[in-house]
Amino acid sequence: MENTKKKYLPWLYCLPSFLLIGAIVLFPILYTGYISFTNMNLYHWQDYTFIGIDNYVRALGKVDSGFLSALATTLLWTLVNMVLDVAIAYVLAVGLNTDGLRAKRIYKTLLVFPWAMPAYVSILVWRVGMFNTEFGLLNKIVTSLGFDKVDFLSRNVPAFISCMVLNLWMSLPYMIVMIDGGLQSIDKSMYESAVLDGANPWQKSIYITVPSLKKIMAPIVIMTTFTMFKQFDILYLLTMQKGAVSGSTLQTIITYAHQNAFVSNNYGLSSAVSMVIFVIIILFSLWTNTAAVPERKGK
Amino acid sequence: MKKKSVLKKLSLLTACALTLGALSGCSKDTAATNNSQPENASQEAPADDSQAPQEETPSAGQDPIVITAWHDNDEAMMNALADVVNQALSEENITLRFEKKSDVAGQIRLYGTDAANGPDLYLFAHDALGGFAEMGILEPVENLIDPTKEADLLPMTLEAATYKDVQYLMPVYYETLLFMYNKDLWEGELPSTTEGLYDYMTAHTDTAAGTYALVNQHSTSYNVAPFINGFGGYIIDKDANPGLDTQEMKDAITYNSKFAALQADGDYNTVTTLFNEGKAAAIIGGPWLISGINDAGINLGIKSLSDFTLPNGNVMMPYSGVQCLGVLKVAAETKKDAITKVLEVLTQPEAGIMLAQNFNCAPANSKAYEDAQVAANEMILAMEKTAQNAVPMPNIPEMGVMWGPAESLLAAVNKSGEDVDSAASKYQQEALSAIADMQ
Amino acid sequence: MKHTLRKKFYLIFLNIFYTMICLLALVPILYVFLLSISSGGGALLTGSLGALTLENYRKIIVEEPFLTWLFNSVILSVGTMLLAMGTSISASYAFSRFHFKGKNKAMWFLLLLNAFPQILSMFAIFRLFRLMNLLDSHLGLVFVYAGSMCIFGIWNMKGYFDSIPIEIEEAAKIDGSGNLQLILKIIMPLARPAIIVTGVMILIFVWNEYLFATTFMLREESYTLAGGLYQLQANDYSRSWPLFSAAAILVSVPILIIFFCIQKHMVSGLTAGGVKG
Repeated sequence: MENTKKKYLPWLYCLPSFLLIGAIVLFPILYTGYISFTNMNLYHWQDYTFIGIDNYVRALGKVDSGFLSALATTLLWTLVNMVLDVAIAYVLAVGLNTDGLRAKRIYKTLLVFPWAMPAYVSILVWRVGMFNTEFGLLNKIVTSLGFDKVDFLSRNVPAFISCMVLNLWMSLPYMIVMIDGGLQSIDKSMYESAVLDGANPWQKSIYITVPSLKKIMAPIVIMTTFTMFKQFDILYLLTMQKGAVSGSTLQTIITYAHQNAFVSNNYGLSSAVSMVIFVIIILFSLWTNTAAVPERKGK
Repeated sequence: MKKKSVLKKLSLLTACALTLGALSGCSKDTAATNNSQPENASQEAPADDSQAPQEETPSAGQDPIVITAWHDNDEAMMNALADVVNQALSEENITLRFEKKSDVAGQIRLYGTDAANGPDLYLFAHDALGGFAEMGILEPVENLIDPTKEADLLPMTLEAATYKDVQYLMPVYYETLLFMYNKDLWEGELPSTTEGLYDYMTAHTDTAAGTYALVNQHSTSYNVAPFINGFGGYIIDKDANPGLDTQEMKDAITYNSKFAALQADGDYNTVTTLFNEGKAAAIIGGPWLISGINDAGINLGIKSLSDFTLPNGNVMMPYSGVQCLGVLKVAAETKKDAITKVLEVLTQPEAGIMLAQNFNCAPANSKAYEDAQVAANEMILAMEKTAQNAVPMPNIPEMGVMWGPAESLLAAVNKSGEDVDSAASKYQQEALSAIADMQ
Repeated sequence: MKHTLRKKFYLIFLNIFYTMICLLALVPILYVFLLSISSGGGALLTGSLGALTLENYRKIIVEEPFLTWLFNSVILSVGTMLLAMGTSISASYAFSRFHFKGKNKAMWFLLLLNAFPQILSMFAIFRLFRLMNLLDSHLGLVFVYAGSMCIFGIWNMKGYFDSIPIEIEEAAKIDGSGNLQLILKIIMPLARPAIIVTGVMILIFVWNEYLFATTFMLREESYTLAGGLYQLQANDYSRSWPLFSAAAILVSVPILIIFFCIQKHMVSGLTAGGVKG
């Protein structure tokens, strides 16, 4: 009796959230799966029928060289952004927690500003106010230094870096806040004894701060990795929005899917493409999972 | 210790609740007062205006019917249009109300079959027609209104409103690109050829200093269409064959690219700012620029693109975009008579005259041009002239997937310096597969 | 003596460093701010600002249903925060404290679900809500937001819950507290930084979300701030940049105020209370 209660209790705690997640997250995935087996498109909007795996055959046909290079770009994008995001946020957060830094609340609030703006506002402002060739601040700086105007978004490498700078600008506040929160949980006495042992700040960081943060930050870092992986707005709005195509051909798998399936308004096909991408993300995460297992066992 | 933190937590929660309560309470109050005062002055006004006579004339004996229409236009303009319709229908207890929606096409796709939440009508450019018609969500306008009542509508606008020989839409006004120039900056006479324009541009453009002769959204297919159509090229033909790699298209793109090199980055915000700030002497743009130009106090001159001859002897031929009202099938089932009455008002010249006088729109109704003020409007005259050569945007569903590849092709040539031939065949392939994906 | 001098220099250096960093981070926002107080109708800052004016702010607040939108934003974010935090704190607690079969798998399953791009879910949620009559309703949006932030909440807090020594709870259990009481009395105060941060994150997400807000809300008077701003100004051709900028600043300021006020509560219950494992 007591035992069965114990067995179901955890699930009871999870039930409300699972109901919510079931309706808002799981159901759409299942529904997308269902639509992917139909021919729902402009020509069969209300009278769509089951057509078996046709859409998947066509979706896999899209896994071509263009897709693979988009996948490679996505992986590079995720990796570079994550490393910089965590590293910069760590340095800034640790600095902010220095004893005696009185203005830290002001600094923290100001640093959070980029996060307080709706994403599309930030992206538009960066496109028009920063990167623009005629009026962008970056070009004002470049020309005042005596160089020619630079079109930051017309070629792949500068466009990648520009998108990355913007992405970091938008995502650092979250990471700083989270690491800052994590730092609060570290037992201060550990530092005190370290100082007695004659440790320098670098050693304190390596031997105390980082290991202590690992446990708290692991879920957050993993989740942010996924967010970076599926980032769409920045690349799309900076380089490929209708009416403002910049000329670079940079694609991540999400923008690639968008350009190759979604613009056609063929819901069956684009659902199949979504499912294929979803499977790829799952495989990717299983891979990172196995990579992370030794660490997890160490807990 | 524990108690202390619980207390802290509780006080924090209460503080939060209080602030939020205060916030919400205050916004509720102010929202209420806000509603009662400035509404007359703001966008809700038309609804109010028309509700007032409704209350006074219950003798009409009908329940008041509200027709909702979604749009993505200037709100003041749409509300003025609703006013004209509502005034004409004040006896009938019918009210037309416009609601602004970003991404109208996407929203109509979602809500097109939703009688409870969706709109009754939508106002949008005619190029989205084919897709909606194939989806089966539109009620053809020709089922609602007697064709003889449409005798005054310009044939070009009716053509744009027709898909597969069925007239689905009710044309309201049309737009074409124009040549707009700053009279204070342009030196000498306007040339009559594009080569003359180019010569002027090379002589008067200083990209390093940021001053330009003529700017255009040179990598947007709509804005390059005057060259493409003038060269005899096409983005997509009537049988849904994309034409990105045809010789005419490539010639047009190559020709356009030499202009593009002297036209800044071609982004909408850039080119309009350049012109409005007096850093560009001329711009190729549509009537939607006019309010910004007026605000900037530019001494504006307008020419039709038909006044410029291309090297092959053709004039520049922009696309024409006809803003039309579409009727959703689900709405036509329940509000057929009321919708018909709204459409009938729009076949009369009054709405067109109002749009022309106040908002520089070129009316779809030919009778509207007999109005003295409309006949004297330089901008509308230029559009009318351009319309004789303009090509209505294709309204087949496949056009919807062509904007992307066409624009990518232009950007690849103009901005990334790619070779025209290889870029053209690459994006032709992309266009073909996008079209194949639709089925 | 030497030590404190070094410390002082270090602090001065840090202050200069963070001032620079903040200025750098705020450049785009200063740009928005300058646009919002410029009187020119221009899309971009071109060097000449024109006369400075608050007219754009007045226009947004008086001529648009700004206060209605603000009210909607507050209702939605608070509603979402309560629902999402309520559900995810209890789930997070279960994942952190109970040992049960399939726990790790369930956590990973949730993460994988979260990997599905939310934008792709819109069509399905639209269909579901149409059936349930939740379109054009704030309740519907609260469900969407809470559902999409729930997994985030669970993952975000679980790590922190793990770091709270279980001994504290065991002591309380001996005192006869039930699990729910434990959450309320011990976990919530001790994990305060994580809980507050997660709550604020959810609030910011809802505050700035515009795609669902504009797709599922059909009347101007039911928009949120971000949604209303998007609806009016998303289109290049009808955007007035000064108005757009003023609105963007107005949307961001409440978030900053909340964030500033909340910081002093973000000190951990663990360290503040002096409890050591």
